[in-house]
Amino acid sequence: MSIKDILSPFSGWKKVFDEPVVVKDPVNDRPGAPRYRGFHRNDIATCIGCGTCETICENEAIDLVPVQGIETRDGDSGLRPRVDYGRCCWCALCVDVCTTGSLTLSNAYIWVDEDPGVYRFTPGVDDMPWQREEKGWKKPEGNYEFYSLKREPMEHLRPEERNDSFAEMVRGFSKEQAMREADRCVECGICVATCPAHMGIPEYIRAVRDDDMERGLKILYDTNPLPEICGRICTHKCETVCSIGHRGEPVSIRWLKRYIADQNPSEKYKQILETGVLDKNGKKVAIIGSGPAGLSAAHYLSLMGYECTIYEKLPKTGGMMRFGIPEYRLPYDQIDKDIDYILSLGVHIIYNTTVGKDITLDQLKRDYDAVFAATGLHQGRSTRIEGTDHRHVYQATDLLRKVTLGEEIHVGRRIVVIGGGNVAMDITRTLARLQRLKYGEVRIITTSLETEDAMPADSEEVVGSREEGATVIPGWAPRKIDIAEDEIKGLHVVQCLSLFDEKGAFNPQCNFDNHRFFEGDMIVESIGQGMDLVYLTEGIKEHLEMTPRGRIRVDDYFQSSIPWLFFGGDIIQGPDVIHGIANGHKAARGIDRFLSGTADKQQTT
Amino acid sequence: MEQLLDRIIAGFEAADIEKRKDGQVFFTVPKPKVLPLINHLKMFEGFRNLILMTAVDWIEDNQFQITYLLNNPDTKTDLGIRTFIGRDGEGMDSIHELWGHAATFQREMKEMFGIGFPGSPRVDEPFLLEGWDDIPPMRREFDTKKYSEETYFPRPGRETHDPATYMKQKLYPND
Ligand code: SF4
Ligand code: SF4
Repeated sequence: MSIKDILSPFSGWKKVFDEPVVVKDPVNDRPGAPRYRGFHRNDIATCIGCGTCETICENEAIDLVPVQGIETRDGDSGLRPRVDYGRCCWCALCVDVCTTGSLTLSNAYIWVDEDPGVYRFTPGVDDMPWQREEKGWKKPEGNYEFYSLKREPMEHLRPEERNDSFAEMVRGFSKEQAMREADRCVECGICVATCPAHMGIPEYIRAVRDDDMERGLKILYDTNPLPEICGRICTHKCETVCSIGHRGEPVSIRWLKRYIADQNPSEKYKQILETGVLDKNGKKVAIIGSGPAGLSAAHYLSLMGYECTIYEKLPKTGGMMRFGIPEYRLPYDQIDKDIDYILSLGVHIIYNTTVGKDITLDQLKRDYDAVFAATGLHQGRSTRIEGTDHRHVYQATDLLRKVTLGEEIHVGRRIVVIGGGNVAMDITRTLARLQRLKYGEVRIITTSLETEDAMPADSEEVVGSREEGATVIPGWAPRKIDIAEDEIKGLHVVQCLSLFDEKGAFNPQCNFDNHRFFEGDMIVESIGQGMDLVYLTEGIKEHLEMTPRGRIRVDDYFQSSIPWLFFGGDIIQGPDVIHGIANGHKAARGIDRFLSGTADKQQTT
Repeated sequence: MEQLLDRIIAGFEAADIEKRKDGQVFFTVPKPKVLPLINHLKMFEGFRNLILMTAVDWIEDNQFQITYLLNNPDTKTDLGIRTFIGRDGEGMDSIHELWGHAATFQREMKEMFGIGFPGSPRVDEPFLLEGWDDIPPMRREFDTKKYSEETYFPRPGRETHDPATYMKQKLYPND
């Protein structure tokens, strides 16, 4: 033993007057460091129950449980994480991955209890003192991310490249881009409930990540037989609830769907989807209208063995998808790719045939076992203001249909479009292209009752219209069309203050003192479409139950009060493509239940 | 500090020099240079304290990184010395002769990563994990979740719900 060893116990004495580094009362006073990782806190009003915290936990310490008072609704599962501290290792991965930022750790770590049961609780729901503590671990901002908060940018044609052409504007993802975008999905599945067709979104995004396009296509066709179309023009409600959208930009679900469909060549569809040979069951179904609902029903009915015949009044398939949506948004060859595959399953189609005129519904009833009517909304509604009977006042849907059929349409020098929905933007952008081709310049004003933030059109459509030279002026109500010497001079408008009254009924209120005049020689109305049900004969109407709001009453399977007659698509729900697809699928199952006798209702009428 | 770094670069092949806050400098040296360098730093450059030793598993490169954090209390500077060794059974020289407590860090690394430090006192005795019967748990091929599933019994009364399935039951059970 050296002299140093003997003296060292005393060397501590020289620090006796220094500031003490030890805590006075180590039993009662041991706060965690400011960023210590202690017991969980959760802001349950912000949490959406996506379960990503549960998935990442390597110790299986987290369960998702229903919580009283929290409703399951779009974008919120109604579940909340419960932590089992017998397993938690305080790694804080759950905090760092949390999609909403609701989950944090307090710096409280001392808690002694005889009952092991208490060490499992639902943070933010079970009242714990540290829920209100400020200190603890939060995910550091801007330091690292487990998933990118930014979308893969999607390339569009530049405005000058697309102004005078109907070429597709959105270019689509490359493989690398699609993989990177797919990598952002946490597979929570929150979006599935919001998708009207309840598509297997996380599953097909996983297929992109695994670069398994055939599996991806199969998943798409489980719920949606029009993926090229939906991958381009779906209203993508799913993206509005995507959990990644809480802290960053939502996953580009729609573009990933398009990517999968784009990668699969049509020649291989039958082999991939195993639909080369379909057994027939000998029963026949007539479908009125070849829009999304009719096609979707035809697809699923064919897979079940029914022989389907579609009656289409126009010379081409697709309904509003072809005749309402301009080519630059939805190219015709992509519509054909989806539809040709459905027709290749043995679906018959009879063009240029209007039910109610060329053939009666009673005839269909005699020739088929069931009828599905998905005739859509095609009759443009008029504002009925003074002057709308002028020859240069048009309906947007009529013009769009004529453009698709290749017919010549009148293109004014100065055009005013009335409407704030996607159809209004479609006709604005179509006319802008035609004006540019004809006159070399665009002079269009598009005006809507709704203010900018309340316009029903997708904001990218509004932005696109402006980029292409149209002037969009929301928040004005049309009053009167000014006509002099039989020529339109323009549109008088007044400021629109509100659209709905206290009861929620449509009842616009205007400030008549605030008045404007939009010059123009052609007016296009695009304020919505109505249905044309002339094919319903008196005998059928007698037995058809209607809702108090004047719609045809159908059950969950889109069966009307006349058991052999089913209705779906825009006349029942929507209007949009994806609801039509969902309706058609459900109606197909309804028809199968009815015809195979598994439904309770018996054929009567 | 600059002169010190120049000496370390020249004499010990230091590379990837990374200056961090508060006078901390990190760099990488080849494995055979680690012991001579640490000896030199302790004997001649005033780095009398070993703050810690730790390891990182770079499974993609089939390498372990070992990091030594040394401190010079007079100049209040820290040096982080990194080196890389093979992942498959290649050990590392022990420095317990320089600092007795290095043996504790080395025992921990043996247990957590399986890195051998021949001659280090008690290096094969369990450190934190009594009765451990699996591969060292900080090796990245160790499947923590699988281990928890197999080893721990589920606490009675636990139940969980998949968000998408639960939402279907609640919002659209018949679709
Ligand atoms: S990750 Fe966040 S938002 Fe999702 S359930 Fe867990 S705590 Fe809630
Ligand atoms: S797309 Fe978004 S909401 Fe849907 S599963 Fe992925 S992360 Fe969840």
